[in-house]
Amino acid sequence: MSTASVPVAAGTLVRRKPPWAVRRKRILVAVADHSLLIVVAIMFLAPFIFIVLTSLMTNEQALSSHLWPSPFRWGNYIDVFREAPIWRWAINTFIYSVLATLGVLCSSIPVAYALSRIRWRGRDLAFATVLIALMLPPVVSVVPLYVMWAKLHLVGNLGPLIIPNWFGDAFSIFLLRQFFLTIPEEYLDAARVDGCGELRILGTVVLRLAKPAIAAVALFSFLYTFNDFFLPLLYLRENPSHWVLQIGLSEFRSLHQVQWNLTMAATLLVMMPVIILFFLAQKAFVEGVTLTGVKG
Amino acid sequence: MRRGVIAAVALVAILAAVAGGTARSAAHAGTKADTITIWVGWSARELKAFKSIIAEYDKNHPDVNVKVVGGINDDKITAAIRSGNVPDVVSSFTSANVGSYCKSGAWVDLKPFLSKDHLDVNVFPKTSQYYTQYNGKRCALPLLADVYGLYYNKKMFAAAGIKSPPKTMSQLTADAKKLTKRGKGGSLKVVGYNPFLGFYAGNAPDLSAYAPLYGAKYTDAGGHSSLSKDPAWSRLLRWQKSLVDWYGYKNLQKFDAGAADEFSASHAFEIGKLGMMIDGEWRVAFIQAEHPELSYATAPAPVDDAKPSLYGAGYVNGTIIGIPKGVKHKDQAWALLKYLTFNAHPLALFSNAIRNVPTTKQSLTSKEIKPDAHFKTFLTIFKNPNSKTTPITAAGNAYGTLIQAFAVKWQAGHAGDLHAGLQKLDKQIDAQLKQAQAGGVP
Amino acid sequence: MTEAAITAGAFTQERRRARRRAAWRRRRLVLLLMSPWLVGFCLFFGYPLVMSVYLSFTHYDLLSSPKWIGWANYHYLFTQDPQVGPAVRNTLWLILIMVPLQVLFAFGVAMMVARARRGVGFFRTIFYLPALAPPVAATMAFVYLLNPATGPVNVILGHLGINGPLWFQSPQWSKPSLTLLSIWGVGNLMIIFLAAILDAPQQLYESAELDGAGPFQRMRWVTLPTISPVILFSVVISVIAAMQYFTQAYVAANIASGQASQAGDQTVNNLGYPEGSTLFYPVLLYQHGFRFFNMGYASALSVLLLIVAFTVTVLIIRNSRRWVHYAGAVK
Repeated sequence: MSTASVPVAAGTLVRRKPPWAVRRKRILVAVADHSLLIVVAIMFLAPFIFIVLTSLMTNEQALSSHLWPSPFRWGNYIDVFREAPIWRWAINTFIYSVLATLGVLCSSIPVAYALSRIRWRGRDLAFATVLIALMLPPVVSVVPLYVMWAKLHLVGNLGPLIIPNWFGDAFSIFLLRQFFLTIPEEYLDAARVDGCGELRILGTVVLRLAKPAIAAVALFSFLYTFNDFFLPLLYLRENPSHWVLQIGLSEFRSLHQVQWNLTMAATLLVMMPVIILFFLAQKAFVEGVTLTGVKG
Repeated sequence: MRRGVIAAVALVAILAAVAGGTARSAAHAGTKADTITIWVGWSARELKAFKSIIAEYDKNHPDVNVKVVGGINDDKITAAIRSGNVPDVVSSFTSANVGSYCKSGAWVDLKPFLSKDHLDVNVFPKTSQYYTQYNGKRCALPLLADVYGLYYNKKMFAAAGIKSPPKTMSQLTADAKKLTKRGKGGSLKVVGYNPFLGFYAGNAPDLSAYAPLYGAKYTDAGGHSSLSKDPAWSRLLRWQKSLVDWYGYKNLQKFDAGAADEFSASHAFEIGKLGMMIDGEWRVAFIQAEHPELSYATAPAPVDDAKPSLYGAGYVNGTIIGIPKGVKHKDQAWALLKYLTFNAHPLALFSNAIRNVPTTKQSLTSKEIKPDAHFKTFLTIFKNPNSKTTPITAAGNAYGTLIQAFAVKWQAGHAGDLHAGLQKLDKQIDAQLKQAQAGGVP
Repeated sequence: MTEAAITAGAFTQERRRARRRAAWRRRRLVLLLMSPWLVGFCLFFGYPLVMSVYLSFTHYDLLSSPKWIGWANYHYLFTQDPQVGPAVRNTLWLILIMVPLQVLFAFGVAMMVARARRGVGFFRTIFYLPALAPPVAATMAFVYLLNPATGPVNVILGHLGINGPLWFQSPQWSKPSLTLLSIWGVGNLMIIFLAAILDAPQQLYESAELDGAGPFQRMRWVTLPTISPVILFSVVISVIAAMQYFTQAYVAANIASGQASQAGDQTVNNLGYPEGSTLFYPVLLYQHGFRFFNMGYASALSVLLLIVAFTVTVLIIRNSRRWVHYAGAVK
């Protein structure tokens, strides 16, 4: 990158080869740079590799100091499904994630629009409530909420996990609002001149232009609910028929008295959906994460 | 606009689904009042055995249909009762919690049921009567008991030239050293006797399985915690620590981490990595099912050198069963409870299947109990007058948690002076109990 | 004149009415759009807040109605509860040691990836992937990897002649083990840093280079100032996350303690294993609220956390004015 921007005036200097010592130093630095990076990258990948290897071992191997499975026991992946109702957990997780994500989108987009593109008295105050909700740890509200859901006799099923998502999510509102603000006013004005109402504008122009942000919000919400452990632990613990994958996985070992090989196979299975999703939507992921940082 | 409508419709649909779910289950309960649910802690093979007992009950009682849920622990029971999602009958392995269940009313008082049916709880042995009530309020009944004794590997004993099982703690220590085999760098290949707290049930970190072997008293005459006043506790902890140090704390910790799960077929004793262990009677059935070839024997656990007369005693703890608050089919629940706990026939059958100690005086001597030399040891320990369970308090087994916190620090060498530590522990236990009795904060 | 005035009056009246109608329609629209949040904020934020404060003055076990006990919960919290002190210290450890390490590591990796001439996308994917692993699964994997006896890490260390530590089994190493886990999952921060670094105006670097600034000076005077808002963001996010650290601690303690015992289980209390070293504040809150169901006492714990979290966040943001440079009008 830097060679391209070297001033033309220094052309003669560029042509001349730098002395060997300088060149050697540069090469060494480059190798050092990359080798450190490669070493760190291998360390980041190693856990995945060991999980895969262990998931293919026999019981005894997993408890020995051997690192390489022999023989490979592919049957573990069949046994996992026999040992635990993984499909049921997966379906419950799916219901939770999809309904919660839908809820976040349906409720947060209009709020973000009202907070960014319509002028009204009290808007700043309303936005302040979003910021406050964003900054305070949700752990502090779990006790009274649990009491509330217990009174409504909804503890033990997915209701308490899903319903709050239909009433706006502070993080999503914040992210969407920041993105909506970047949409040039001309687009909206053009639509208004055409006689569109605010809802039409929101439904057509804004949604089309804000696709990356909406995709990011949907991804985050899906990831968050898929990975969520705390709320399912509180609300679903005593009702195994509504367990989600994360609860099932955490209870897997004690419930089925199985060994590490099957546990690692189950662990890998639980990681898989997110990793596949990532490779399908890598761009949206990276853009989304970047969005949270830059707009912060 | 359309999106708003979609959102509203979807929201209504969800609320309807959720509400419908509860409404449906309620309706279900109303019309088919004959399905009741029972929660038990057993899982896998033991759960299957329990289900067969229930199947027999189901067959003889066409008016009810019993659903069994296994793998339940006290956390789940408490959560279910607080949130109002209760099964009809619950059971717990942690009899020490009966105090908090009875006191808080989380499990209903069974006295009205008992007097209505003219049943006398004296059909249960004294110990079992004790751990199913609190302060005279009976909110639970015993459903089989657990008794702890010594298991030893006969082949390894012969190879090491040990003639008979140890009767005192110093003999246990000597034998343990003879049986232990080390690998390179001090790592442990075979452990003669593993005293590491947290290693399998016999080493429950609250010391519960060891206390009766030392005749250690939890409270003094005034009802105050007496861990620092009864020297038995110090002797117990010093013995335990000295054996841990002989192995090396870190070596034992690694052995523990590398050992297989307690309820898997690779249990360290069952695969010959342990020479001796203190464990519950259920292990007899596990070995029978998983490693019938294992050459082993059972005996009462060794006792304090200072109190050899205690030999023959052991720790007793039982599975308790009761009816939670807010249950819908009280009478059917009671009928099942009565059948399971008072009737010698199911007790004997279940005892045969999972080799737990039956809990009525009649069933203890029932003809239906299949004789078994290994199991017989535990029936004898159960009858020993010095066999003890942990105290039942208003705070449940919260004192056990405090003892555990101290004992684990002690074995790691982080507890400092033993006597001072025990005195502080006494104070904490007393304070906690006072709070619990007052119904105040924790 | 009068006629004209009347028509003019009617006209303005009409216009005023139309304007009022438009304003009303607008207000209704805003209300419609805002309604999910208005309801949600009151129901899932305002109500629990008020309720927390109320419950914190009561004894409440969900079996009988709340009993007013005044300041007793707070009294026990501040003067008697032997677990509060260690829990606060453990959480502080996270904020003072784990968070800085996370941020530093994310920054370092981002710098390295940014310097790499080839395969930026490839490396980015590798470093981001672990961040996707569900916390429960990642924690279980790490407890296995760091098993002191048979885990691959200690096996490899053993081959190198090093007697590996006890990791999750020892009170000295349990928090460092959790830190390793959190560093492994630092991908989100890394991506944010990477984007900010690549975003920094190239001419700044060039002029710095022409001024004879070395790589270290360039980082100090160009990179750091330009990405300081992002650093602030990640510190705030990480500190808030550290104050809520629960899942990993809960799962690690549960699995590492290895007490999968079902029969004869005496020791349900694995929270904080080993020796209370992973008993963080949210874990303590969980223990009182959802294991012992002391809703009153748990509420007192939440109120304290609320106040502390709010104060800490405000302090960080206040302090940041000194070292954060906002380049444009990014706000």
